[in-house]
Amino acid sequence: MKKLLSVLLMLALVLALVPAAIAEEEPITVSVFVGNPREQPTPDNKIFKKIEDELGIKFEFEFLAGDLDETLAIKIAGEDYADLMDGGNSADTLINAGALINLMDYISEEKTPNIWTHIQPYLGRLLYDDGSLYIIPNFGRNYNAQIQNYCNGPAFWIQKQVLEWAGYPQVKTLNEYFDLIERFIAENPTNEDGNPYTGFEILCDDWRSFCLRNPVQHLVGRPNDGDVLVDINDNYRVEAFVIQPYAKPYYAKLNEEFHKGIINKDTFVQNYDQYIAKLSSGTVLGMFDQYWDFQSATDALVTAGMDKYTYIGLPLVYDPEYVDGKEIEEHYLNGAVINVNRGYGISVNCPYPERMVQLFETLLSDEWQTILEWGIEGEDYYVEDGRFLRTDEQKKNSQSQPWKNANTAYALMDGLPKKQGTRDDGNAWEPGNQPELYFDLMSDYDKDFLKAYGYKVPADFFNPPIELAPYGEAWQIDYVNEPDVSIAETDFVTTQMKYLPEIIMCDPAEIDGKWDEFVQAVEDIPISTFIDYMQEQVLKLVEKANGN
Amino acid sequence: MSQMVQAKPKKRGGIGEFFSKLWSQKQLMLMSVPIAIYVFIFSYAPMWGWITAFMKYNPKNKNLFDNPWVGWDNFKWLFNRQEWLGVLRNTLAMSLINLVFGTVSAILLAVLLNEVVTKAFKRTVQTVTYLPHFLSLVIVVSMAQNIFASDGAVNQLLLSLHIIKEPVFWLGEGKYFWWLVGAINVWKEVGWNSIIYISTMTSIDPSLYEAASIDGAGRFQKILHVTLPGIKSTFVVLLIMNIGHLLEAGFEIQYLMGQNLVIDWSQTIDVFVMKYGISKMQYSVGVAAGMFKSVVSILLLFLANFIAKKLDEDTLI
Repeated sequence: MKKLLSVLLMLALVLALVPAAIAEEEPITVSVFVGNPREQPTPDNKIFKKIEDELGIKFEFEFLAGDLDETLAIKIAGEDYADLMDGGNSADTLINAGALINLMDYISEEKTPNIWTHIQPYLGRLLYDDGSLYIIPNFGRNYNAQIQNYCNGPAFWIQKQVLEWAGYPQVKTLNEYFDLIERFIAENPTNEDGNPYTGFEILCDDWRSFCLRNPVQHLVGRPNDGDVLVDINDNYRVEAFVIQPYAKPYYAKLNEEFHKGIINKDTFVQNYDQYIAKLSSGTVLGMFDQYWDFQSATDALVTAGMDKYTYIGLPLVYDPEYVDGKEIEEHYLNGAVINVNRGYGISVNCPYPERMVQLFETLLSDEWQTILEWGIEGEDYYVEDGRFLRTDEQKKNSQSQPWKNANTAYALMDGLPKKQGTRDDGNAWEPGNQPELYFDLMSDYDKDFLKAYGYKVPADFFNPPIELAPYGEAWQIDYVNEPDVSIAETDFVTTQMKYLPEIIMCDPAEIDGKWDEFVQAVEDIPISTFIDYMQEQVLKLVEKANGN
Repeated sequence: MSQMVQAKPKKRGGIGEFFSKLWSQKQLMLMSVPIAIYVFIFSYAPMWGWITAFMKYNPKNKNLFDNPWVGWDNFKWLFNRQEWLGVLRNTLAMSLINLVFGTVSAILLAVLLNEVVTKAFKRTVQTVTYLPHFLSLVIVVSMAQNIFASDGAVNQLLLSLHIIKEPVFWLGEGKYFWWLVGAINVWKEVGWNSIIYISTMTSIDPSLYEAASIDGAGRFQKILHVTLPGIKSTFVVLLIMNIGHLLEAGFEIQYLMGQNLVIDWSQTIDVFVMKYGISKMQYSVGVAAGMFKSVVSILLLFLANFIAKKLDEDTLI
């Protein structure tokens, strides 16, 4: 009897130990490179502690300081990779340099069901010709309905107070936009502190010079395809829109505004930080930009309680007079784009690739996604009638940077594959998209502003998103493997950044001559190297999309 | 016959003398061994990487020799770029401006300070002028960008003095760029560069000044005939060293301040290499440009040394 008891005890002990032994993998520390400047999470961060306790994985972050391309190129030259590498917008260079491992060796329907469900519908777009995959996209994978409360991408932005001053008009075209700014500035040359207003800013810093280069495609009614325009009605013909005749009126218009004093010379020499500082001061009335690019300025304005100086995006198009009397329909908002090759890749230096893929798999579970996006129930949000909500205190916390550093894993989150759109229970996957929260978090000024227009959310200024073209968005096409194309593209950007400011600032009588000079310089690159390659890739993607 | 007798001991003395000198300086030789090893490891050994200049290098290839050989293609690409001549011109122009203004301003400051009798004042000026040397160029350039902006201090000063009618677009017009770089460099380095001249001046024998005074020399004559000749050898040595660096016009200022609006005037070899060699990962092109720079620099150095020798001055080599 005694013997039996001890055997039973032994058995119980062993049984109790076995699951523990399986669950407790050896604790490891994973180095992470993040291709964006971020703040370090605090050492006792709540979510990271939970991950460490439950999964035995600790993270050591290196955030970008300085220029991304240069940082990556130097890392590549020295093969000095972190375990997880988020190459930001230049992740393709990492793939091309052989810095990342092929994830398909570890992904399968059986081993990683969450990841499989996540990427399966997009495999045609994601996999390379040899069937390899290096990065699970960090954004753009929507479950159920996509939610777009605001425009995160390109638009012509204007300070809300300008629209308020004008009695909330509908501004649809380029001329209406500049006319409004002119009238406002004529009546209010300075703000309350006596600082003069600048009518329109054009950021020309490095790659962010898309603020100078990109607007024309939108003015003729296309979503963002980067430096090229794809004519979906003409067998996906690709062209460099900035040298086309229809681009000239925009720069001529800017020239006109420059001579009216709406655009300031200094805009062409300021860097990104100076631009953000200027926007944050509330003295810039308008600009063309993408929302995420100047979000820090918006945050600063909101923090300072200067809500009327924040911006609203307007989907402007050309006035008919510029395009042979044609009425143009705007298409700024696009259907969700899967963010191909953006996010974490696992570097060849990582000793535990299998475990990293399993980490992605685990974190992609509904349970962990909720923790990563919403936090801990009862602490960071509460549930009422099945809706995920936040108390005033929790709302305030979620907007405080120091609190986020200590209580969220946002530093890691950016590059992770994540669920977006709507949960099966009807809540938004991301708190920022939960309609109740979005409206609650708006300031009274913003609420009144939207009410005056009869809109619910800022996205109502835009047409509903159009269906995504089969090739996605052309700016995603990478050419790091093609040195000639890559150099042609650099030269293309450089040429635009050199000539376009000249065209904007020159004597109006000289515009025609300068324009021809510019077009010639672009053609001399030769730009066909770049365009031909893009054409080939677009057609390839269309074919792939039709094939699947 | 007598010639042979004379030649023999000379030859033997040559080798013998070398070894006996070597032996007598054995402590010194021993001390220089670590330096030689250091230079070998960090300056000579990495030079084998130069072979990538003749390859189409891709970091994907783990074995270096898997990269295809392309001969002189990288150099050809470099020299055929339409902006290459402009890049070379900018590099040399800014380098010369820095060299001339840097040296002249440093000597001028040193001479002026040398004439100051009050020690406290001299020390203060010296400290104040060399402090900017320790500032990061990132800070210096952003200060300059503010000062030279359309509504910056310089324009406001010139406007209020009625020297100009409209603000000058200092940062956006190519013709000003070289001089801005020169001005920033002078402001930042004048104090630092003058230290070596001041220290040379303190070692000039005071009796020379006394003798000059007795001969009736005034202050300017003493500067001209005692102080300046006293620093001549230092000047020549520094000049030769600087000429070796003529193709290094600096990188930071041009990189930080050179917008595309002024790119025709701002791009130097280093910035060009950063843009195409590193950012676009054309490492081979970067190595080719680096090789070109090194070879030209060595030639310039020998040329300057040769001229100095001809002029019977102290030389470096």
